[in-house]
Amino acid sequence: MHIDRTIDLQRREFLRRSLILGAYGMAAPLVSTLGMVEAASAAGGPADYKALVCVFLFGGNDYGNTIVPYDPLSYSAYSTIRQTLATPREQLAATALNPSVALPNARTLALAPQLAPLKPIFDAGHLGIMLNIGNLVQPTTLAEYKARSVPLPPKLFSHANQQKEWQTGGSDKLTRGWGGGMADLMMNANSMPTFSCISVAGNAVFMSGHEAIQYQMSSNGPPEIRNLGTRIYTSSNVSSTLRALITSPRSHWLEQNLNQITKRAIDAQAACAPALAAVPAFATAYDASNGLAGQLKMVARLIAARTSLGATRQVFFVSTGGFDLHSNFVTGHPRVLTTVANALASFYATTVELGVADKVTSFTASDFGRTLSSNGDGADHGWGSHHFVMGGAVKGGRFYGQAPDVSVSGPDDVGQGRLLPTLSVDQLAYTLGGWMGISDTNLASLVVPQIRNFSARNLGFMAA
Amino acid sequence: MEDIGIVSTIGYAKWLDQQFARPLSKPSAWAWIQTQAQGGPVSGGQIDAAVWRRLISGPDQLRQRVVLALSEILVISAGQLDGVSDPTSMAGAFWDTLEQHAFGTFRQLLEAVTLSGAMGAFLNMRGSKKVNPRSGGQPDENYAREVVQLFCIGLVELNPDGSSVLDRNGQEIYTYTQEQVTAFAAALTGWDFNLAAGKKQQDDPAFATRPMINNPSQFSTGDKSVLGTVIPAALDGPAALAMALDVLCNHPNNGPFIGRQLIQRLVCSNPSPAYISRISAVFNNNGKGVRGDMRAVVTAVLLDPEARLPAAGPASGKLREPIVRFAQWARTFGMTSSDGTWQIGNLTGSLGQSPLRAPSVFNFFEPDYVPSNSTLGDNDVTAPEFQICTESTVVVYLNYMQSVIASGLKSSTSVCAPDYSGELAYANDAAGLVARYNLLLAGGGLGADTLSMITSAVNNISVSAATPEAGLKNRIWAAIFLIMAAPDYLIQR
Repeated sequence: MHIDRTIDLQRREFLRRSLILGAYGMAAPLVSTLGMVEAASAAGGPADYKALVCVFLFGGNDYGNTIVPYDPLSYSAYSTIRQTLATPREQLAATALNPSVALPNARTLALAPQLAPLKPIFDAGHLGIMLNIGNLVQPTTLAEYKARSVPLPPKLFSHANQQKEWQTGGSDKLTRGWGGGMADLMMNANSMPTFSCISVAGNAVFMSGHEAIQYQMSSNGPPEIRNLGTRIYTSSNVSSTLRALITSPRSHWLEQNLNQITKRAIDAQAACAPALAAVPAFATAYDASNGLAGQLKMVARLIAARTSLGATRQVFFVSTGGFDLHSNFVTGHPRVLTTVANALASFYATTVELGVADKVTSFTASDFGRTLSSNGDGADHGWGSHHFVMGGAVKGGRFYGQAPDVSVSGPDDVGQGRLLPTLSVDQLAYTLGGWMGISDTNLASLVVPQIRNFSARNLGFMAA
Repeated sequence: MEDIGIVSTIGYAKWLDQQFARPLSKPSAWAWIQTQAQGGPVSGGQIDAAVWRRLISGPDQLRQRVVLALSEILVISAGQLDGVSDPTSMAGAFWDTLEQHAFGTFRQLLEAVTLSGAMGAFLNMRGSKKVNPRSGGQPDENYAREVVQLFCIGLVELNPDGSSVLDRNGQEIYTYTQEQVTAFAAALTGWDFNLAAGKKQQDDPAFATRPMINNPSQFSTGDKSVLGTVIPAALDGPAALAMALDVLCNHPNNGPFIGRQLIQRLVCSNPSPAYISRISAVFNNNGKGVRGDMRAVVTAVLLDPEARLPAAGPASGKLREPIVRFAQWARTFGMTSSDGTWQIGNLTGSLGQSPLRAPSVFNFFEPDYVPSNSTLGDNDVTAPEFQICTESTVVVYLNYMQSVIASGLKSSTSVCAPDYSGELAYANDAAGLVARYNLLLAGGGLGADTLSMITSAVNNISVSAATPEAGLKNRIWAAIFLIMAAPDYLIQR
C-alpha cells in the first residue's frame, strides 16, 4: 500500500517540478544559479546588511480598533456600527495621526491608544501604514467578488488557510513562503546559509523556500543537548552513541527528516551560541513579561551577531497570538495591542542603538481583519486589514492605500464590515523584496508569482 | 508486558473487546480535581495533572489513547476558556465528556462536545445572542464555522477515499460559504452555562459537568439554516441544534474526514486511499445499520490490514507525538505520584506538546501538514507531527527525557517516579535488556544497527560486583533513553 503511494507521489512531484521549470523556461538547478547572481550584485562588503522581520499576529487582527476613524463623520459611523466595541473618541486624541500626505475627503485616522509607543516612530517618518491590505489573487472589485467572476484566494475566512496564503502568496500549493523565496536568492551571500531564515516563533511556512530552510530557536536562543560531548549516566559511550543515533543519515524519509533537523540543531547551536554570547547587553529596555518583545530581542541579538554568523541578508519570523477575539474584545484587544506596541518600539530603538535602523525592516501580518459589526462581545473573521511597516529605510509618517469606507454594506464591504482588500500582500512582498535587492524578474517569477496579475507592483514605501 | 501476553493469547480483536468493555474509572478527571486541595498544586489552571493522571494511570488504556486522539480533533485549549472562573474543572469535565462518548456514536459525541461548557467557552457558543436590532449586534460565528470546518466536514467535498471531489474544471468544491456560516450562527444562539438558579459559578461547581441550556429570549427568531438546509422558525433552540447536528452528522464527508484523522492519530500519517475508504464504509454503517459507531470505527482503524501488516516504504508510519512518548514511558514503567497529586504540569516547554494545550482549535498540527523543503516535501508526504518538530523541540525533548528517566519529576513536596525495581533483574544482560525495551517501547521496531549500537553502549556501563545497583540503574536508564532518542523508535512503523 505504502509503496504504491510512494511511487505515485514521486511521479507527481516529478511532473510538478517539470511544470514549474517549464513555466519559467529554465532548467534545474535554477535556484542555486540565480542565488549566485543575486548574491554577486547584492552583497557589497561587511557594511552591507539587510534584514526583514515578519511580525505575525495570529488569530486575525481587528482593523477597526487598530487604526481608528477619527474625523467626526467617520468616527460617528464607526461608533454606530461598533457599539460597545468602539473606543471612545476622547481616548484617541493623543494618538490621532498627522500624516505627511493627507487622506482625501478630510479623513483622519488615529492609532489605538495602546499603540502610543509607535506614534513617535510614525511622526519621525520611520513607520508606514498599509491601509486595507490582504490576500488577493488579482485586483478585485466588489461586483467581481459578489459575482465570483475573478479568482479569489481559496478558503477565505479560515484561519490556517489565510495564514498560509499570507505567508506564501498562494504559490506552490502553500508550501513555499515568500520570506524563504527571497532567501533562496540571497543565501549564497551568507557564509552560513542555515542562518538565512530564522524563526523565533515555531514553524512558519513563510520561511521555507526551495532551498532555504527555516531554522528555529526560542527566545532564549538555541538550546544545547546536555552532556552530548561528555557523559550521560556516567558513560561517554552512551553520549557518543546518542550522537550517532540522532545524527546519522537514514533511508526512511521520516527518520531522515528527523535526524536532519536534529543534526542541524546541534551544528547551528555550536555556531550560534558563542556568537550570541559575545553580544554586549543592550541599553534599550525590553519588558520581560512580553513574549513578543522577548522574541524580537533575540532577533536583535542575532542581528548584532551578524558578522560572526556570516550573515548579510536575513529573514526573521516572530509572532504573538490572542487576536481571535470573537468575545471578550474590549479587554482582550487593548491587551494584545499593548504587547505589539511595546515590543515593536523596543525593537526599533535597538536597531537605532546598533546603528542598523536603515538596514532592518519589520512588518506586521495577520490571518485577516475582522468584521466591523459587533457580535455583542467581539468581532468575527474578516479579510482586509491595516498593517505596519517599520524601519529607517521606510518612507513612513504616512498611509499607503485607501482608507476604507466606514460602513456596513458599503463599497468596501463583503459582509458585516469585512473589507475587500485594495492592497495585496503580494504588493507588500514585492516592494520589500525590491529593497532587499532582488530583481523584479526574480520576484515575479520565483518569489510572488501572483504579482504578475497587478499592474501597480511596487507600493513605493521603501527608500532605494 | 502483561497486556502483550494477553493479546498474544486471545488475539487483537478480543483484546479490543475487553478494552471497550472496561468501565469508566473513578474518580473522573473532574471529580478528582474536586478532591484536590484548594490552593494546592493542582488548582490555578493546572488541568495538566488531572489529564496526565488519566493518561498514565487509567486502567482503560485504549479509551485514554482514543480520547487523546479525539482531543486533537475536537480541540479545546485549556488556557483559553473565556468567562470561566475555574478553567481547570471545566477542562477536566471536557476530558470526561470525551471519555463518556468515545465509543458511542459520532452524533452523540458531537452533541456532547457542542453543549459542553468548555467548548461553549472556548469557541464562544456560550453567550452568542440573536441579532440585536437596536445595536446591530450579530450572532457569534466562531462555533458555527469551526464545527463544520474542523469537527465534522472540512472545507471541501471529499470522496470516501479522502481525495477531493473535483468539479468539471478540476477545482475543489467548497462545503460552505461565508453567507452560510452567518446563517448557521443564528441557529446556535441562546446557549449558556447550566447554573443552578441564582448561583454563581463558584457556588455551583458541578455546572461544569452539565450540558449548556438554551435561553429562549436570546435564541434567534425566524428561519435559520445549516449548509443550505432550512431550520424552521417553529423549532426552539434545542430542537434547532438537534436538527443542525443531524445534518452535519449525515454529511458524506464525515467518514473520510474523521476516519483519516483517526488513522493519522493512531496508526500512520499517509494511509492509502483504500484504507480510508474501508474506514469510511464502517463509519457509514457498522454492519448493523448504525452510522458513526465510534467503537466500530476505532476497531476498523486498528485492525485494518494496513495497520497490522509491517509497513513498508520510505513514507510509512508516523512521528510519535511527544505526549504519546512521555505517557508511554510513564505507563510502561508504572509511574506513580508519591502523594497522589500528579504534579506533572504543562509540558509544552519540556516536550514541545502537552494535552489540552494546543495553541488554537487548529490543534498542535494539521492533518495536511507537509514539511517543506525536505524529501517529505519533495514527495508531498504528509507528516502532521513534524509541524511541532523543530531544532528547538528536538533538543528540549532529549534533555527532558535524559533527566526524568533517571530522576522522575520532582516538585518541592512530591515526586512522580517510574518504578524500575522489577527491571534490575534484566540489567546484567545488556542484549536482553535492550531487546526487552525494544518490545515494550518500540513494538519490536528497532533496526539491527540501532539494537547493536545501544546494546554495546549499555554493555559498556560497568556493574560493580560489590554494589551492583548503581550500575544496573545506569544501564536501565541508558537503554530507555537511547531507545527513546532513536529515529526508529520516534518514527512509529
